[in-house]
Amino acid sequence: MTPHLQSKQLLESQLITNRRHFFARGGMGAAALASLLNPNMAAAGPSLAANNGPGYGPGQPGPTHFPPKAKRVIYLCQSGAPSQIDTFDYKPSLEKLNGQNLPDSIRNGQRLTGMTSRQSSFPVAKSFMPFRQHGKSGQWISDLLPWHSKIADDICIIRSMYTEAINHDPAITFFQTGHQQPGRPSLGAWLSYGLGSESNDLPAFVVMLDKNTDPQAQPLYARLWGSALLPSNHQGVKLRSAGDPVLYLNDPTGADKNDRRRFLDSITKMNQLRRDAVGDPEIDTRISAYEMAYRMQTSVPDLTNVSDESQETLDLYGPDAKVPGTHAANCLLARRLAERGVRFIQIYHRGWDHHGGLPGRHPKLAKEVDQGSAALVMDLKRRGMLDDTLVIWGGEFGRTVYRQGGNENSYGRDHHPRCFSLWMAGGGVRGGMSYGETDEWGYNIIDRDRYGVHVHDLNATILHLMGLDHQKLSYRYQGLDYRLTGVEPHQPVKDILL
Amino acid sequence: MPAPHCRWPLVCRERCLPDQLNLKHLTQPIEPRLRSNLTLACMRSTLLALTLLTTSLSTSFADDAVQFNRDIRPILSEKCWFCHGPDAEHREADLRLDLKPEAKQHGIFSAPVEKSEFQQRITSTDPDTQMPPPESGKSLTDDEIKLLKRWQKQGATYEGHWAFSPPKSVAPKNDPNDAWSRNPIDRFVLQRLRKENLSPATEADKYTLLRRIALDLTGLPPTDAQIEAFETDKSMNAYERVVDRLLDSNQYGEHMARFWLDAARYADTNGYQYDLEREQWVWRDWVIHALNTNMPFDQFTIEQLAGDLIPDATDQQKLATGFHRNHPITIEGGVIDEEYRTEYVVDRVATTATVWMGLTMTCSRCHDHKYDPISQKDFYRFFAFFNNVSERGLNGFNPKAKVPSPYLTHQLEEANKAISAAEQQLKQAAKRSGLTMNQLQQPPSIENTWSIVVPDTMISKGNAEFNIKEDKSVLLTGPNIPNDSYELVINSDEKTISAIRIEALRDASTVNGGAGRGSNGNFVLSEVEVEAASPDRPTEFKKVDIARADADYSQANYSVNLAIDGKIDRTGWAVDGNTKIEDRTAVFSFTEPVGFANGTILRVRMKHEYGGSHQIARFRTALNLSKTPPTPIALSKIVAKPIAQRSEIENRELRDWWLLSHGSPEVRHAATQIKQLERQRTQLSSGYPATMVMNELPTPRKTHVLIRGEYDKFGEEVHSETPQTLPPMPATFPRNRLGLAKWLVMPEHPLTARVTVNRFWQQFFGTGIVKTAADFGSQGDWPSHPELLDWLAINFVESGWDVKALLKQIVMSSTYRQSGVTTTEALQQDPENRLLSRGPRLRLDAEVIRDSALVASGLLSERVGGPSVFPYHPTGLWQEINNRPGYSRTYKQDSGEKLYRRSMYTFWKRTVPPPSMAAFDAPEREYCQISRSRTNTPLQAFVMLHDPQFVEAARHLAGRILESNDDDKQKIRYGFQCCHTRPPTDQETAVLLAELNARRKQYTSSTEAATLLLGVGESKLDSSTPPSELAAWTSVARVMMNLSEFVTKP
Repeated sequence: MTPHLQSKQLLESQLITNRRHFFARGGMGAAALASLLNPNMAAAGPSLAANNGPGYGPGQPGPTHFPPKAKRVIYLCQSGAPSQIDTFDYKPSLEKLNGQNLPDSIRNGQRLTGMTSRQSSFPVAKSFMPFRQHGKSGQWISDLLPWHSKIADDICIIRSMYTEAINHDPAITFFQTGHQQPGRPSLGAWLSYGLGSESNDLPAFVVMLDKNTDPQAQPLYARLWGSALLPSNHQGVKLRSAGDPVLYLNDPTGADKNDRRRFLDSITKMNQLRRDAVGDPEIDTRISAYEMAYRMQTSVPDLTNVSDESQETLDLYGPDAKVPGTHAANCLLARRLAERGVRFIQIYHRGWDHHGGLPGRHPKLAKEVDQGSAALVMDLKRRGMLDDTLVIWGGEFGRTVYRQGGNENSYGRDHHPRCFSLWMAGGGVRGGMSYGETDEWGYNIIDRDRYGVHVHDLNATILHLMGLDHQKLSYRYQGLDYRLTGVEPHQPVKDILL
Repeated sequence: MPAPHCRWPLVCRERCLPDQLNLKHLTQPIEPRLRSNLTLACMRSTLLALTLLTTSLSTSFADDAVQFNRDIRPILSEKCWFCHGPDAEHREADLRLDLKPEAKQHGIFSAPVEKSEFQQRITSTDPDTQMPPPESGKSLTDDEIKLLKRWQKQGATYEGHWAFSPPKSVAPKNDPNDAWSRNPIDRFVLQRLRKENLSPATEADKYTLLRRIALDLTGLPPTDAQIEAFETDKSMNAYERVVDRLLDSNQYGEHMARFWLDAARYADTNGYQYDLEREQWVWRDWVIHALNTNMPFDQFTIEQLAGDLIPDATDQQKLATGFHRNHPITIEGGVIDEEYRTEYVVDRVATTATVWMGLTMTCSRCHDHKYDPISQKDFYRFFAFFNNVSERGLNGFNPKAKVPSPYLTHQLEEANKAISAAEQQLKQAAKRSGLTMNQLQQPPSIENTWSIVVPDTMISKGNAEFNIKEDKSVLLTGPNIPNDSYELVINSDEKTISAIRIEALRDASTVNGGAGRGSNGNFVLSEVEVEAASPDRPTEFKKVDIARADADYSQANYSVNLAIDGKIDRTGWAVDGNTKIEDRTAVFSFTEPVGFANGTILRVRMKHEYGGSHQIARFRTALNLSKTPPTPIALSKIVAKPIAQRSEIENRELRDWWLLSHGSPEVRHAATQIKQLERQRTQLSSGYPATMVMNELPTPRKTHVLIRGEYDKFGEEVHSETPQTLPPMPATFPRNRLGLAKWLVMPEHPLTARVTVNRFWQQFFGTGIVKTAADFGSQGDWPSHPELLDWLAINFVESGWDVKALLKQIVMSSTYRQSGVTTTEALQQDPENRLLSRGPRLRLDAEVIRDSALVASGLLSERVGGPSVFPYHPTGLWQEINNRPGYSRTYKQDSGEKLYRRSMYTFWKRTVPPPSMAAFDAPEREYCQISRSRTNTPLQAFVMLHDPQFVEAARHLAGRILESNDDDKQKIRYGFQCCHTRPPTDQETAVLLAELNARRKQYTSSTEAATLLLGVGESKLDSSTPPSELAAWTSVARVMMNLSEFVTKP
């Protein structure tokens, strides 16, 4: 008869297995590396991070490829794509070109969507809102986003973003996973895999959806925060504004905290008995998972209960701050998540896709997000957190300078992948600057080879700020090495870094 | 300007382009301290660790001669071929290292070995000469360098890639000291274990074996009855008998199908953007049926890839081709059709190559494969096979075929049987009541006695005016709101009223002289409601049930029956009043005649909800004054015909009317029964959707190499052909999908059988003999037991691709029957159990976990096949994410039995996959996947603790526990066994007893808490047990279901 193993011995062997597992896959997850290099970690006992790869605490911040500027990211994704012409890409030249047909020489064979491909003319429309300079830096921002004027010196506006996709699904999938078609891990999953969690009782990657108000808004898809080929503990955990804040978090049986503890203790005792009998170290992992679930039942309600916020703070975020599911409320939660060590916080705001009636509809969307987004930056700044928190704001592509349908007062703008604007703040990005420029028609990037920022460049920049080399953060799956930024030569945008 | 971007979505790799190697100027400067302390140190320790840890599979080779495929190929592939491999376009220094003649020709292997260029390069520390170059990010380990040197000393011999050569038949060595092996699998495994100085683990105990085998073959834990039967079966072949029973069960096919659904990227929605529903479940039924009937795998392959092209293909064979229409399909307005159609074809190539050949073929979409001998041209030749479907990119849901599920045939037979039986009953009943056949053919003897009445009061919701005409009809004039409703009260002296008739009459005052007030002259009578009261109690109205409605004419889709369907909506009785200007009549017969001793007050509501003022303009009401309902209008035509001239259907209608209106209660019951059964049969035989299937254009589409994989950048034209590196397709095979499918299952195909048996092996052991089950190419892992893999593959083909035989062979082996418990040495030497020194212990898949709870609680529905179901689901989740009105809908939870179907039938929405299963690593099903990750997270704990499905299951398990025995300890034993297939130990029983007693106390003092706990789930509560007792046991059951063991295959 084979002697039963002491569970500790087994545990060590299992840890070895898991570590080996990472390297057999050729992955360069930095936290995975950390667990290998740091003998204390194994001695510290079974952590989820050690067993699963990082993603759930108590993971240890892993060594990075180079010193990180940012410890966390808050990504305010403007789904549907806001118009750069009417927000951040100041184009005085359009005052005089307004109403003129976009010359073919400018469009230069650019692919059109099925929505405007049958349109006979392409009259350009200047911004329907005036632009003004703000802050010491004198950044040009449109009146559409009045609260943004207050953070003009903190944000870096990239006016030379470009992408490859022209339709929503492939474009947003490309932005968030580095590929137009499904099947790749999302940015947040990569960061969770690469850096692990800093929190003991919250996941590394949290997703929030602003409550949608536009009946024609674009839908979202689980793949945008999915883990695809990475282990699925790296997928984003949705923090909901209605129902259970985290799926199945709440006890449907009305148990109180003491009940829960007693109940959990019975489970743990039983699991320990079994572990001692069969020596399966995975049982320890499961015990830890239940313990963290228990902690989350306290930590999540603590997180979402904003009653400890000062009136001043609530005022900063505006009247929506206490209305669950609004952008302002979610931005406030984002700050609270950031304080609690969550690595990657993704907020989606839907409804920017205005193919018709844009001058009437854009202001509504702008009003929904303007104050919350700006307040988040201001709030982080006054707390000294902006230095190591990277905030990103932008859509999946831009909108055309020419009108789609309608007349001079009511028109839409179609999808435009060739140039659009996005801003970044904090986390090692230089504030108060604009980067890149579009031509007088606002249709193409000037000197794209030098100043163009491709989606992969942006993602490379984000990884870079988090201390990761986008060419080294890879994961081997079924014999192939995958990474976020594709196979072409892309690079972080150095010019905007502090 | 940067090159256009690699469009291939799934499997291109980091080092895909050589440009990368010239990225020196782009890479971030690494801060010096970190470079030395971190990067280099990391690399060294990593490699050191790696070397130490991989010893289990490689050091044992130290004594052997170096084998190219096992030892050298992985190094060259990983470190050299990116620049010196199959991709001609990006080959550096014109040196090709993947083929022997080319490599030798170059002279890099000159003697003496130490002085050869190859050795100099790989040992150099000079960044200008060293290989691989530092900027590649790759380097060779000392061990690798040593191996390469030994290889060169042994003559630098090459072998073709193992997986591209046909499997070699090698018999396992007979070991005279081998008392362990039961079949050849074991002999191969033992041979390897001996070589590593390991011995197999002991055989697992009976309970463990039973649990393992049941979970592996059916995805369900054994039931309490099955456990007991196995416990008491002391015969020698008790285990084998269980294996056979499980292989014969319906649940076997369901479980095996589930793995296939991941590979086939099956889902119930279209994926992409709005992610609307699709109905592809009939194809899923086909898979379950094929697996349950043990269809040989070659036929399974041919029918799914090319069933439509088989000569004289049956409907079922056409249905099978739904396999390659399961991919996502876009409906996003504005996409370019051809771009997405191209993606669908690429998806088919990727899926076919992955599932049948274990090849990452799509790497060659944009350029020649970097590691495997598959050129870009090969890719598009393969693509050509799948490029001839008459489909579109946008809304590409056609072609479709309406084919019944194979399970329907059986159900239809059952339905016919039931109808025959009911007919017999009817005959008997008719005989008893004195009805004769002759009588049933006669015209009804009772006269219709209609009495026209003018309502005494009439109210219009829209204040229209009622004008009584001479013919006692009523004409509406004045206000004409969009949806008007008339309320009529008739004070009648009659004591027996069996029906009311409403005539809609033409009137010159309407738009077209017809009977409707609508702008086109039509009307829609949405609903007719009748109430009755006695003149003695004139305010106490009671609803009058209307048994049937009939009319002399109903517009298509606006049958008069819709006016009594209980729904006050836009549907109802209409008469084509805009085109056919006629008087029309409708009769509403009551279930039982109404009437009171002193007469009858009837209140009638005529509701019009279509909108656009579609209300009746002029009507006349009449009451039927008899005990039996009036002869239906439709029958009058039949009755008018001589008996001999009536059709069978007409005879039947007449007969049914006789039976239902004049038969004895017994006859009426039997007749109703038949009607119901017939309706069910009609539903069965028409109630299934058309399935998306493959077809072939009469003239094949032209296929071109697509430059850089882009849909609109045409290169040279190519024709369908299989990859050059694999055995050619025989000339006798048709050069289409059928030929391709037959080629895949040719006995001499080196990949299909190996890849297939490896996938099954992975199902049982967690890891395949080849770990990279989806990559059998150069970058794939070397098989842990190459000879075993080949033996299994050859055997599989020779058995006639008999899947059940293969699986039986595996589970009958001593290898499979080992205990999961092992020794420290064995664990260190074989941490991942690649050497198979112990039994497989794995966390169960999402579906199996949920199904286990349903089995333990006794709630599981065993119905096989059919449409997907909607079990418990968090409120609002779909709408939160996929939210466009008119496109997305809310999740409509099912009730009753559908809450307890096996998880494989759960509706799978790609953009919001079933959340409690996603928590346990279930994929989105957006693309082909043949293995899942296995993680442990707190979110899983939440599902097990709080998902109503599990809480409710615990309550039902508690109910079963309470019925099982009188003694608490015995009860615990019973429940524990339902969950974990074994009796609890004394210690475990003690913990559970303590839990039980604590909860008894708690729930006795707080019935409120008990009610809360017991209120979870839709199923009814057993009221005979005191709530506190049931709640306490429910808590114990919840503990049992939350144990690690519950989610583990032991």
